[in-house]
Amino acid sequence: MSAAAARPLVTVQSLESDMATDANSVPLPDVMKAAIRPDIVTFVHGQISKNARQPYAVSKRAGHQTSAESWGTGRAVSRIPRVAGGGTHRAGQGAFGNMCRGGRMFAPTKIWRRWHRQVNVTQKRHAVVSAIAASAVPSLVLARGHKIEEVPELPLVVSDAAEAVEKTSAALKVLKQIGAHPDAEKAKDSQAIRAGKGKARNRRYVSRKGPLVVYGNEGAKLVKAFRNIPGVEIAHVSRLNLLKLAPGGHIGRFIIWTKSAFQQLDAIYGTFDKLSEKKNGYVLPRAKMVNADLARIINSDEVQSVVAPIKKEVKRAPLKKNPLKNLGVMLKLNPYAKAAKRMALLAEAQRVKAKQDKLDKKRKPITKEEASAINSASKSWYKTMISDSDYTEFENFTKWLGASQ
Amino acid sequence: MATVPGQLIWEIVKKNNSFLVKEFGNGTASVKFSKEPNNLYNIHSFKHSGLANKKTVTIQPGKDQTVVLATTKTKKQNKPSTLLNKSVMKKEFHRMAKAVSNQVCDNYYRPDLKKAALARLSVVHRSLKVAKSGSKKRNRQSS
Repeated sequence: MSAAAARPLVTVQSLESDMATDANSVPLPDVMKAAIRPDIVTFVHGQISKNARQPYAVSKRAGHQTSAESWGTGRAVSRIPRVAGGGTHRAGQGAFGNMCRGGRMFAPTKIWRRWHRQVNVTQKRHAVVSAIAASAVPSLVLARGHKIEEVPELPLVVSDAAEAVEKTSAALKVLKQIGAHPDAEKAKDSQAIRAGKGKARNRRYVSRKGPLVVYGNEGAKLVKAFRNIPGVEIAHVSRLNLLKLAPGGHIGRFIIWTKSAFQQLDAIYGTFDKLSEKKNGYVLPRAKMVNADLARIINSDEVQSVVAPIKKEVKRAPLKKNPLKNLGVMLKLNPYAKAAKRMALLAEAQRVKAKQDKLDKKRKPITKEEASAINSASKSWYKTMISDSDYTEFENFTKWLGASQ
Repeated sequence: MATVPGQLIWEIVKKNNSFLVKEFGNGTASVKFSKEPNNLYNIHSFKHSGLANKKTVTIQPGKDQTVVLATTKTKKQNKPSTLLNKSVMKKEFHRMAKAVSNQVCDNYYRPDLKKAALARLSVVHRSLKVAKSGSKKRNRQSS
């Protein structure tokens, strides 16, 4: 990334009191191009916001300031320790347990609960850097809910004349000139009584957050002028607070920079090549993907030239047909099947025909010639049978046979 | 402006943003709508999102029966006040429809939004006709 030469310019908005020649442009500091990591911001924000907590706990003696003893068994009452003595309602009541009225609670809260959280310095810085980068993207600032439709440019840089503003009325005029008024107005309109018990616990009102004004020179009058405007917060560049840059853990606060503040960002956070001057040994975090524009990458020449063409027609699996039922499919698998089938059919036809003929023949009445032929044949066979056999040698049987031989 | 690309913005914005509205459906299966002004279908999705795309189209009712057609200029992404090419239309419906489809697809601006743009145009146009009777519906997308 040819960063130095091609750094885009941000125009400085001039206010009324400026001279025309002052309106110029400032190059964009590299912080605004750092990786935007909402996950880191959410994590760090969650941890950091625990650090301003004050401990709470119940009294350690609560519920134990009695000399109660259990009555034991045999008295038709539960075995809970009961208050000793007599002459008052309290006598004989259950004590000590979390289930008892006037007893101590379950797990009494202790002050040595771990209230604060430690976060690595680099992580904290990464989160701040991400939040600053996100504040430069109009979509993200819009998504967080700020009204920036009338803002001339993001990130919004105002000339240093704003730092000299003394009166709040003048401050409001400045906001109007740079198009930040709708956001401040939104904050003012949103002031409402909190829903829930918080209102009775000294957190009565809630409102939206407006713009964050960041100034560069210590002791600028701007602090006193802007601080009373509802929704508007002020910060010095070298003391940027993540809780203000990403309220609620959501990145994209609307930030108004003064020119000197903007120019100090490079020195405070460094550039991708240069170390930071103010933070010892710190370099801006690198993104995993420098060019995250997927659409552009996919459609680029380098990728498209190597990519296979789109398959427009989707090849679907054909329906499986059963070869045992479908002759065509069977033939694809076994061409001989046709011949085999033909042979089988012919053989079958022959068999059928033969059987039919046989039956017909049997069922047909026999002609006279055939009948007599059969008759004479059977007679001659009988004779030959007798003559061939040795049966006739036996004298006893000649009468039976009745044959003259 | 090192343009943070649309995909990146979408990853950040898709889970939660001030325009996201989850309604209807059962339990976790709610429909996700989006109230941004640059969203044609008001649906919370990358294609229709007014936040994550460089080129967006928006059609809103203007004053007195006019329809405002606006497209975003790609070169001015970080100047919100001069981002939109606005044009106020007070023609009869067919001429407006032709104008819309010219701006959106015939000049290859966002041809995938053609149907959405025309649909929105007819709905907005119809809503302008019925101005008098019934309760005034607040335009939650008011930009």
